[in-house]
Amino acid sequence: MSDTMRRKGWSWLWLALGTLYFFLPLVATFLFSLKGKKGVLSFIAYAHVFADPQFVQTFTFSLEMAVVTIVAGLALMIPTAIWVHLRLPRARPLIEIFALLPFVIPPIVLVFGLIRMYSRPPFALVTSPVLLVAGYVVLSFPYVFRSVDAGLRAIDLRMLTEAAQSLGSRWGTTLFRVVLPNIRVSLLSAAFLTFSIVVGELTLAVMLAWPAFGPYMALVGRDLAYEPAALAIISFLLTWGALLVMQLLSRGLRGPGTTVGGVH
Amino acid sequence: MTVTGVQVAGAHTARLPLRASLGGWIGLAPFLLFALAFMLLPAGVLLVGAFQDARGGFTLVNLLHLFRPNILHSYLLTIEVSLVTATGGALLGFLLAYAVTLGGLAPGVRNFLVTFSGVASNFAGVPLAFAFIATLGRVGLVTTLMKTLFGISLYDSGFNLYSFWGLSFTYLYFQLPLMVLIITPALDGMRKEWREACENLGASHLQYWRHVALPILMPSLLSSVILLFGNAFGAYATAYALTGGFINLVPIQIGAQIRGDVLHDPNLGYALAMGMVVVMTLSILAYTSLQRRAARFTRT
Amino acid sequence: MKKILVPLFSLFFLAGIVVGAAANGNQEAKPMALLTQAPAKFADLVTAAQKEGQLTVIALPHDWVNYGEAITVFSKKYGITINELNPDGGSGDEIEAIKANKDNKGPQAPDVIDVGLSFGPDAKAAGLLSPYKVQTWSTIPEGVKDAEGFWYGDYYGALAFEVNLDVVKTPPQDWADLLQPAFKGQVALAGDPRTANQAIMAIGAAAVANGGGFDNPKPGLDYFDKLNRSGNFVPLIAVPGTVDSGETPVTMRWDYNALSNRDKTDGNPNIGVIIPASGVVAGVYVQAISAYAPHPNAARLWMEFLYSDEGQIIWLKGYGHPVRYADLAARGAIPADVAAKMPPAAAYAKAVFPTLAQQAANKQFIADNWDSIVNVKVQAKQ
Repeated sequence: MSDTMRRKGWSWLWLALGTLYFFLPLVATFLFSLKGKKGVLSFIAYAHVFADPQFVQTFTFSLEMAVVTIVAGLALMIPTAIWVHLRLPRARPLIEIFALLPFVIPPIVLVFGLIRMYSRPPFALVTSPVLLVAGYVVLSFPYVFRSVDAGLRAIDLRMLTEAAQSLGSRWGTTLFRVVLPNIRVSLLSAAFLTFSIVVGELTLAVMLAWPAFGPYMALVGRDLAYEPAALAIISFLLTWGALLVMQLLSRGLRGPGTTVGGVH
Repeated sequence: MTVTGVQVAGAHTARLPLRASLGGWIGLAPFLLFALAFMLLPAGVLLVGAFQDARGGFTLVNLLHLFRPNILHSYLLTIEVSLVTATGGALLGFLLAYAVTLGGLAPGVRNFLVTFSGVASNFAGVPLAFAFIATLGRVGLVTTLMKTLFGISLYDSGFNLYSFWGLSFTYLYFQLPLMVLIITPALDGMRKEWREACENLGASHLQYWRHVALPILMPSLLSSVILLFGNAFGAYATAYALTGGFINLVPIQIGAQIRGDVLHDPNLGYALAMGMVVVMTLSILAYTSLQRRAARFTRT
Repeated sequence: MKKILVPLFSLFFLAGIVVGAAANGNQEAKPMALLTQAPAKFADLVTAAQKEGQLTVIALPHDWVNYGEAITVFSKKYGITINELNPDGGSGDEIEAIKANKDNKGPQAPDVIDVGLSFGPDAKAAGLLSPYKVQTWSTIPEGVKDAEGFWYGDYYGALAFEVNLDVVKTPPQDWADLLQPAFKGQVALAGDPRTANQAIMAIGAAAVANGGGFDNPKPGLDYFDKLNRSGNFVPLIAVPGTVDSGETPVTMRWDYNALSNRDKTDGNPNIGVIIPASGVVAGVYVQAISAYAPHPNAARLWMEFLYSDEGQIIWLKGYGHPVRYADLAARGAIPADVAAKMPPAAAYAKAVFPTLAQQAANKQFIADNWDSIVNVKVQAKQ
């Protein structure tokens, strides 16, 4: 056998094994979720899930949190990224370090600190959803920054802003009618990634005692047998849908390195 | 949780003449305030608490207590899980990435795998645990198939999803794709010409790998292992959803401590959390310094 | 990088010191104002509770003696949102949650707890509880309440084997059966034996069945050691989900829990509830209000609700014997259909009701010796 053929053979083998490892759990979960009714394959577990008022409540809550996080995160990071590009490139290494902090301070440690710090006066924020949103913004901001940053790099920001200003537009107009439309793709990308992080998130939601989707799924896992599998499939489809859209959108972007990681 | 590849620290933008730019920093004030309020200060509170005793005085006793058998054991266990999934994930991920980049397969396969990995590396927590329970739990699909098709009873032969190895196997689901994502650019940077040059000079397959490919890839490989290590070390949701807190990992201990003073000494709990931050910091420092070295050969 | 790291970490440290000092400077958490019984005008309590608007409960699964209905009815009746913490928690976890959140008026701090009998006096001694005598106080039997009103019994039942009959073809009838090889990898406890009342009582019951008792729990631990060595014991906490899916097809839970699960699965799978032939143990749970409750009036209103006829019958519908059962029966207040669904009284004839002292001794011994005798270390590589 020629060298190339042998190499190809090994490659196909590893690919096959990898595919097996990744798809088998998905297939197994799907099949398990169909066993809700004895003896037949049925979607009754899914029906139970959708009919559960708590499903709707917690999912809506997490959706709302996701939207607020996206808005807050973008509102925070867009001006910051623009500022770093235009006025203070020296600050870039500092921001990069901050972008590593959510890795150095894992969510479980972060929430420990947040509770200890914000549970007493004068900063008693622990009853307010602000704390949860702030935590989510911390979790998602490395991606949001990377995304917006990559988008800003792809356009010539300096030229655009100077051109706009020389034509008489003020900062507000420049921002909303010149810059943002040009980085639409990275904004969407950041939004989808934030969405997928927030919707299934468990650690912050459960420790801060909020009725979010993650804790709801854990609860269902405790009480029922087949509905958890149905929820896992629903959650897969959602997360994957969002991330897939994000990946397809950001294909064209020249980004520095890869954006990796996840909420574990 | 997350790491963004700190590859080329950007110097792509044109620089203004540098003025004494205190005014420049004002623009970053919102971000800095946010980072202070919700990242630095909470961590700072834990850090300070780790060095306090019950009355608030300074002490190093909490650090000493971290070496109690129970706590030491959970650090060791967490390190073990992280090492196993890091090296396992790195090895298997490398093989998979190699297969699609340099293995002579159609380019569409590579694109698919990279996209899929981008999605799968973010996939963890409760749904992942459910998925593995449905696959390899006591009545999971694979367990049942093994029994009906091959007559092998997995659980009788000692396998158990709710154990060290089961958890590690589950962790691989997000470690492997992460490795694929990180190492693919490095593999792309392996020029065909180097291999051909080696072959022309009469080197064998093995010699090419030993003397050319591995030395070039080593910084990337090592940095990836370290990144995967940190990723697994900090993971909470998956471990919690799979084992219900039964396995004595450091994140699980911290979670239990947040819900109740199970260590009967809150300052020890802070020390526990800070110990975790120390491990993560060391790994990110090692990762970034190795990444710098690897950046020379990486094609972005 | 280093130029930034050093100032960054110094900032960290300094900031933490400032905040830490400020936080310590605040007063120590003070327990709330005492209100030891309902005010003369009950409506005042209702108003005060509604002003608080929220109630935080802990470790109350919805299918545990029908708490799901209690929560929904209370919430709707008074318009108070109920915040549910840690449904998986055991009695020990509830106590720890109060301790950890003394300073915290947020939703992480429980207002009320529902714990095993032996946990009540411990919590009272540790100053974690606030006394309150409900309006129906006099109808609660003497033996299951603290004289000053710090804790009082709420419901009781007997420990039963809960079995997934689709997985287990021949259900066990007694403790000795579980040691058979047919149950390899199938038997689990429904809680952490060091902190969960359900698990602790199960071990005590095993002791009773094996020549010991609550005064002499060692035979119970020896039994579980044997169960573990034979490979029948699964080191996983059994919950309804794991019983139903077949992960832990055999467990020991309170009969009210097992019966609820049987009703819920409705045949898919078939759940069997079997009171063991020997070693039948009955246990009481007690309600209490946290001394550091963020919503004390809502907590008191919740107590009033649970101990009203309406609340007690909700528990009865969940197969638990509410503590005021005798009083309700005497006044004919129990609906006939609910009474008909209860397990026959004969099942409780052989039940042992361990006293407070016995339970305390049992709990202590198990907490001290579980790890060394049974040596089930899930964390180690098998």
